Amino acid sequence: MRPKPVLGRAGGDAVPLALLPGQELDEVFPPRWLAEVTRLVAEGPGGGWGESRRPVFVTGSNFGVGGMYAYRKEGVVEHLGWANPGACVEHLRIACGWGPDVTICSHACVSAHLGLLQAARMLEAGLADEALVLSFDFLSPFVTGGFHALKILNGGMPAPFAERDTGAIGLGDGAGYAVLSPDRGDWVLLAQSLHNEMHHVTGNRPDGSGFDACLAPLAAAAGGRRLWLKGHGTGTLEAGRLEAGAFGRAFPGAPLVGWKGSLGHTLGSCGLVELAIAIEALREGRTPGTVGSAGPTVTESVRLEAFANGDFDGVVCASNAFGGAHAGLVLGHA
Amino acid sequence: MLERSIQAVATYDAGAEAPALTRDRLKGRFPPGSTRRMTQLGLLVGATLEDLPPGEADTLVYASSRGETRALEAYLDSFPGASPTLFQTSIHPSSIQQDLVVRQRRVAEVFPLAGGDALVAQALAVALVAPAARSLVCGGEERGTWLHDLGLSSDRSFAFALALVRADAAGPAAVIGRVRLERTAEGGGLGLGAWFDLLHGRQKFAGAVGAGWRLDLSWC
Repeated sequence: MRPKPVLGRAGGDAVPLALLPGQELDEVFPPRWLAEVTRLVAEGPGGGWGESRRPVFVTGSNFGVGGMYAYRKEGVVEHLGWANPGACVEHLRIACGWGPDVTICSHACVSAHLGLLQAARMLEAGLADEALVLSFDFLSPFVTGGFHALKILNGGMPAPFAERDTGAIGLGDGAGYAVLSPDRGDWVLLAQSLHNEMHHVTGNRPDGSGFDACLAPLAAAAGGRRLWLKGHGTGTLEAGRLEAGAFGRAFPGAPLVGWKGSLGHTLGSCGLVELAIAIEALREGRTPGTVGSAGPTVTESVRLEAFANGDFDGVVCASNAFGGAHAGLVLGHA
Repeated sequence: MLERSIQAVATYDAGAEAPALTRDRLKGRFPPGSTRRMTQLGLLVGATLEDLPPGEADTLVYASSRGETRALEAYLDSFPGASPTLFQTSIHPSSIQQDLVVRQRRVAEVFPLAGGDALVAQALAVALVAPAARSLVCGGEERGTWLHDLGLSSDRSFAFALALVRADAAGPAAVIGRVRLERTAEGGGLGLGAWFDLLHGRQKFAGAVGAGWRLDLSWC
C-alpha cells in the first residue's frame, strides 16, 4: 500500500492505495479489471461454468462504475458500455465462456459473503452440482473520491484494532474466487450468517448488537471447536472497537487479526480475498498478524504478530458494510 | 420445483414523474422529516415495503438493474469535490437502506441483486431457496436525466414488493397467488420492467425467464 493521489491524474490528497502492480488508478479502456479477472478465472476454476448445474455468482460493489466517472470526466463514450453491473458482468461472462446462469450480488463490502451463502443454498437444495463464486473490486477515482469525502480515506495508514486518536482506512484492488461443492474439497463452510442493522447508513448501533446478532449463530455452530478470528478491521475506530468487543463476547479468548493494514480494504471482494488468505494460513500452519497496527489495541485478543495455528480447528471470517450489514462464516477442515 | 404462495403485493408506478412530485406524494408514508434526502427510488421502494413491512426473520431480496440513477448522476457531477452523501446514496442497494434506516428496521438477510434479463429469475431463485418462512422480493428502477439521454437508465420510475410464504406458513385466506420456478433448457428472459407490469396488472405468466429458469405466476 502506497500513498497515491486520491483522484489519480486529477490529483488531490495522497491516500494509501494498494493497486495491482503496474496499475494506475485512472480508468482505461478496455477496463483493467477485465484482463486481470479473466486471467484469474483461466488459471483457477477453468471453464464450463454458468450452466444450470454449475451456476456462477459474481459479487462486488463497483462493477466497472469507474467507467462512468471516466466518461463524465473525459467524454470517452466507450467507457459507458462497461459501467453498470449487467454490462460489466456480461462482458466478463463472454470473455470467460460462461453460460447464462450468472447471478450478480452487490451489497457493498459484504457482497462476497452473499455469493457464498446463495451458492451453498443452491447446492443444499440440490439445484446445482457445484458453484463458482467470483468477487472483484478494482479501484477508481469514483470510489476513492467517495471514501475520501467520507473522511475515512484521509491519508493516514490503516491500523486495524489499534487504539489511536484518528481512524483511517486504505483501499486495495481485489479479486478472488471459490468453488463450492457438496462433497469434495479440503475445507468446509460450517456455518454462514448475515445481519443487517439498518441503524445508520455509515454507522453501527452503539451497543454492538448488530455484530452480536451476526456472530451468535456462528458461535453456536462452532460447538467446541478452537477457532481463530479474521475480523473486518478496516482501521476505523468505532467499528473496530465494536467488532473486537463482539468477537470477545462470542468467542472468548480467541485470537483476532485483521489484514486490511496490508491489503487495503478490497471492498466487495474482501470476503473472498481474505478467505483465500485464511485458507492458505491454515494450510501453512501460520496466521498473519494484524499488519500495520501497533499496541495498544482495542482488546487484548488482538494479535499483532503472526502465530502458529496448528492447534486450531478453523477460522471465523467476518465482513461489514454500509447500512450496518454484517456477514460471517466458520471455515473448518473437511 | 421451487414454489411459494404470494401473501401480498404492492406496486408504485411513477412513470416519468419528477422526483419532487414523488416526494410530495409519498412523504406522508414515512416518518416526519425523513424524506428530504431520500431518492425517488428510495421513496418508491419504501412505499411498497410500508405495505408489507419486512420482519427481522424475513429474507429480503432487492433487484434493480440500474439502482440510484439520479444520485449516481449527481455524485459524478459533484467531482472534484465529491459529495459524501451522494456517494453513500449512489451505492447499491441504497434505496432499501434509505427506507429501512429511517424506519429503524433490522433484517437478518438482505440480498441485493443486479443484472439484466435474468434478474427477475435470479431474485426469485434467491427468495425461493431461502430457509426463511417469509421472503420479500422488492426492487425497481429510476428514470435518469443525462444517463437516460445516453440510454443508460430506465425510461420510467417504478417499484414493487412481493411477500412470498411457504405453503405451510400461510393460511388459505392469506394467499393471493402463487410463484413456481423450475429449471428449463429454454432460453428467454424477463426484465424488471416487464415483471413490474405483471405484478401491477396482476397478470398471469408462464414461460422461460432466463438463466435456465421457467416461471409460473398465477393469481387467486
